[in-house]
Amino acid sequence: MSRYLGRRILTGILCIFVALCINFVIIHAAPGNPIRLLVGKDNPNPQMIAELTEKYGLDQPKIVQFGKYVGNLLKGDMGVSIYTNEPVSDMIIDRLAPTAMLALTAAVLAAIIGTALGIFCARRVGTKLDAIMGSVSYLFDSTPSFWLGLMLILIFASTLHVLPTSGMIDMRADNEGFAKVLDIMKHMILPVSALTLTLIPYYFRIARSSIIQVMGEDFITTLRATGMPEKRIFRKYIFRNAILPTITVFGIQMAYLVTGSAIVEIVFSWPGMGSFVMTAITRRDYPLLMGIYLVLSVSVAVMMIVVDVLYSALDPRISHESK
Amino acid sequence: MALLSIRDLSVTYHSGTRHVKALNSLNLDINEGESLGIVGESGSGKTTLIMAILRLLPKGSVEISGEAFLNGKELISLKQEELLKMRWEEMALVFQKSMNALSPVHKIGVLMSDIYRIHKPEVSKRDARRRIEELLELVNLPSRVYDLYPHELSGGMMQRVSIALSLMFNPKLLILDEATTALDVVTQTQILEEIVALEKKLGITRMMITHDMSVVASTCKNVAVLYAGCLLETGLTQDVLVEPLHPYTQGLIKSFPVFDNDTHQPLQSIGGSLPDLSSPPPGCIFEPRCIKACDMCRESMPRLKEYGQGRFAACHLAGGEINV
Repeated sequence: MSRYLGRRILTGILCIFVALCINFVIIHAAPGNPIRLLVGKDNPNPQMIAELTEKYGLDQPKIVQFGKYVGNLLKGDMGVSIYTNEPVSDMIIDRLAPTAMLALTAAVLAAIIGTALGIFCARRVGTKLDAIMGSVSYLFDSTPSFWLGLMLILIFASTLHVLPTSGMIDMRADNEGFAKVLDIMKHMILPVSALTLTLIPYYFRIARSSIIQVMGEDFITTLRATGMPEKRIFRKYIFRNAILPTITVFGIQMAYLVTGSAIVEIVFSWPGMGSFVMTAITRRDYPLLMGIYLVLSVSVAVMMIVVDVLYSALDPRISHESK
Repeated sequence: MALLSIRDLSVTYHSGTRHVKALNSLNLDINEGESLGIVGESGSGKTTLIMAILRLLPKGSVEISGEAFLNGKELISLKQEELLKMRWEEMALVFQKSMNALSPVHKIGVLMSDIYRIHKPEVSKRDARRRIEELLELVNLPSRVYDLYPHELSGGMMQRVSIALSLMFNPKLLILDEATTALDVVTQTQILEEIVALEKKLGITRMMITHDMSVVASTCKNVAVLYAGCLLETGLTQDVLVEPLHPYTQGLIKSFPVFDNDTHQPLQSIGGSLPDLSSPPPGCIFEPRCIKACDMCRESMPRLKEYGQGRFAACHLAGGEINV
């Protein structure tokens, strides 16, 4: 197991490095230049441009720039934002927490609700209720999360005035302690709903189909023949076998959720990575962009390793093959 | 006194407007301590028969009528709780695909002791483990199999695990559904010999489903020939194999290779295939494929008639009354 884990971590690091190279190439290949944006469109001063370009090392060959960046990274230095002059690491940490809060809540809720609904329908295959829920799942699956977000704002915030439209905290009320937590939770309801509702269909369909599949397996007939009560067969054997694909989907979804919730974050003015990435791109803030993409690729790699390890712990057939 | 007697057992599968009669008024007896082989081609209703008496057929789309008595208790109308108790304690089953017979993500021993403790909840985990290891030893498996997963065993070993599992409570009736079909001939012979030895030791009555005539010939005292849900012939294995009364049995035997074949007769197959059971032929069920069929066969289904001690056949032409 530890050898397996070691190998997975090594391949993970390799993946992150490859992602880093690709990010660097794409960011620098994109048209536009942070210095030009910094000095402004009107009345550009050539001397100032040259000075700034030199200051940020942008006059050096790309390969040298990349080497320096990687060198600093290994020392734990992610650089300084060209636009705000703040350390990139501090800026990202500020933004990562709200995103993680939103993404994790939505993913966990969607996984639990979707799986529960999937189980519900799998035990009623072929009934009208099952068919209706299947259609509804496709409806939500094809609904864009930003549209759903806007509709939720329209209904619950603009018309009914029960929930806040945007942001993470109420700026006017100076809440402290528990009141602050409650305030944040209130602000989370709509964006989390928008994300969760569009994620539920994945878990619903995966759970439903894998439970139906496991229920038809030979060993279920064996267990029935042994006189095991249906409830126990379901809880102990069907569920345990059928949950494996859900874990895979959860991992992939989690990896995408950190980036995929960007649009919902923008719709709700959530102070997370979403709007942050957008501004970093428009400003061509190279160190910040590199930093953001690095954090995203690390989070994807970590999620994948976590899922793989979890999977091999739950499915003996996997760990056996990689021993 | 028969251990298992099946009376007029019929099973119909309903699917939309189609009604497939998979079993047609079957009557069968197995005496205690005997062994019965049920032979027939794929789709003849062999598995439906055991699924019906074990009550493992899906509810709703399947209609079962008739009776099946095990040790005097009627199975088809038995209450669910009593059925759960009877399963495995009095009748156990070894499945065809033993590679898939156990949950792939549970250790073999853990699953087996879970089953053990369903019927004997008072037994401690430790004692359950001891009993499982005993069972594994009984089928010549090392006790370390307890801590292995199904995918870590070979097909033959998994078959032994399935047999060990089926012997857990010394069931009165042991049903083997094509239990050795997936194995190579060497392992098959080994396992069959072990089963026969164990059944003598434990006093088990065996019902064996197979399409392999040689398995029946070497291990079963009695044989029943099933075709399209109908019982065509039954009797002592040696009688039926040496002197088959029904044209279908004759065809089955001819289609099986004989090694010391001096006459070098080519293998014969039975032409055609199973009839559509949602609209069976009006006369004898085998008539469309029978090389000896006459007018009478096209009109009525022959009843099972007795020809000597425990020997039955359902054919108008059997016994040489009308010989064509």
